Amino acid sequence: MICDDLLFSCEISSSLIHYPQLFLSERIFTGIPIKGTGQARRMTLIFMRNKNVEVESLADGNLSVSWRLADTFAEIEIRITFRLPDLEMISAEGRIGRSPHPECAQALPLLQKVVGVRVGPGVRKIVQGLLGGEKGCRECAEGVLESCNAVILHFTAPQIRENEKGTEEERKKKFQAMLKFNPRLARSCVAFADDSPLREGLNL
Amino acid sequence: MSAFPIFHLCALCELGVEDLRIEFMITFSRTLLVGGEFLDEKTLRFHGILEDNIYAMEIHVDVEIPDGKIGKIRGEMKRYTTPVCPQAVSFLQKAVGISLREDNWISKVNREVGQRGCQHFAEILIECGRCLDSALMARAVEKTQAENPGASPQEAARAWVQQHPEAQGACFARPRGEAPRAD
Repeated sequence: MICDDLLFSCEISSSLIHYPQLFLSERIFTGIPIKGTGQARRMTLIFMRNKNVEVESLADGNLSVSWRLADTFAEIEIRITFRLPDLEMISAEGRIGRSPHPECAQALPLLQKVVGVRVGPGVRKIVQGLLGGEKGCRECAEGVLESCNAVILHFTAPQIRENEKGTEEERKKKFQAMLKFNPRLARSCVAFADDSPLREGLNL
Repeated sequence: MSAFPIFHLCALCELGVEDLRIEFMITFSRTLLVGGEFLDEKTLRFHGILEDNIYAMEIHVDVEIPDGKIGKIRGEMKRYTTPVCPQAVSFLQKAVGISLREDNWISKVNREVGQRGCQHFAEILIECGRCLDSALMARAVEKTQAENPGASPQEAARAWVQQHPEAQGACFARPRGEAPRAD
């Protein structure tokens, strides 16, 4: 413990020279014995979760979405094909590599229920109804919904890139055009709130 | 497409990799990372990081273990889409006091942090909240294995669920009303 503390002290001293702003951060105190207890704060983690979702454009024009959850207990993968232009899920398959409960393997056939469902208004309730709840699999429902969200973001990204070009005023106009085209965005976040400068002059 | 991947793919074809999907390209990718750090017996701090083609942001949230209440939260926007977006950082404080044990905590976070602030901050916070039971279960499994190195992690996880009704009923693998076994 003494050696550990010395090691931390050295790192902290070095950090203070290069990054004096760290002095104000609570992170500076990590690893130092907690006052009065003689115990060091534990910095190692025993739980981590990593979620990843990727959208691929297929040669036939459809989209393939690959979703993966890996954490201390579970490893789950879902792959869904979305047909364009209606964004209907035309295939869904999954794999469970690890799970804290053996029953989780029974969740995979549930995925077939989403085949035929389209991304659009109400999809959250539909997928939760098909896959969620006490008789379902929460992770599978999340995986499908996060895949749907990734499809939307796949279409949003080029528009956002385009909005980055031009002067501040031009960029504002581009965002306003986006809002006019998709009024559902109004009041969806602080940027599109009623009192946002991006809403000035817009009646949505 | 640059020359490098073409050369690379041709080399693979020569090696007999026939099902390589050379026409494919990733158009959007998102990673959401959550780490659970036990500050002490009563406080669990989640570090949540979101990184994708459009956004990058991070939160740190302290959860009071006994009642699941959010005690402290702070966050940072690194990449965003509009100059207004950084104002959403202040709306993270609306999450303080929400209990991750309430039935409608996800709706509350979506409304208070997401709709009023930023949906992506809400997504990170919700993922952190979903990790609460798993983090507590990981701690219990670690303790069990420290006391009995031969203990099965699956059995230890099952025992933890059986002893915690609040973690039951989320799915068919964790049925409600599962009582601890006599053995």
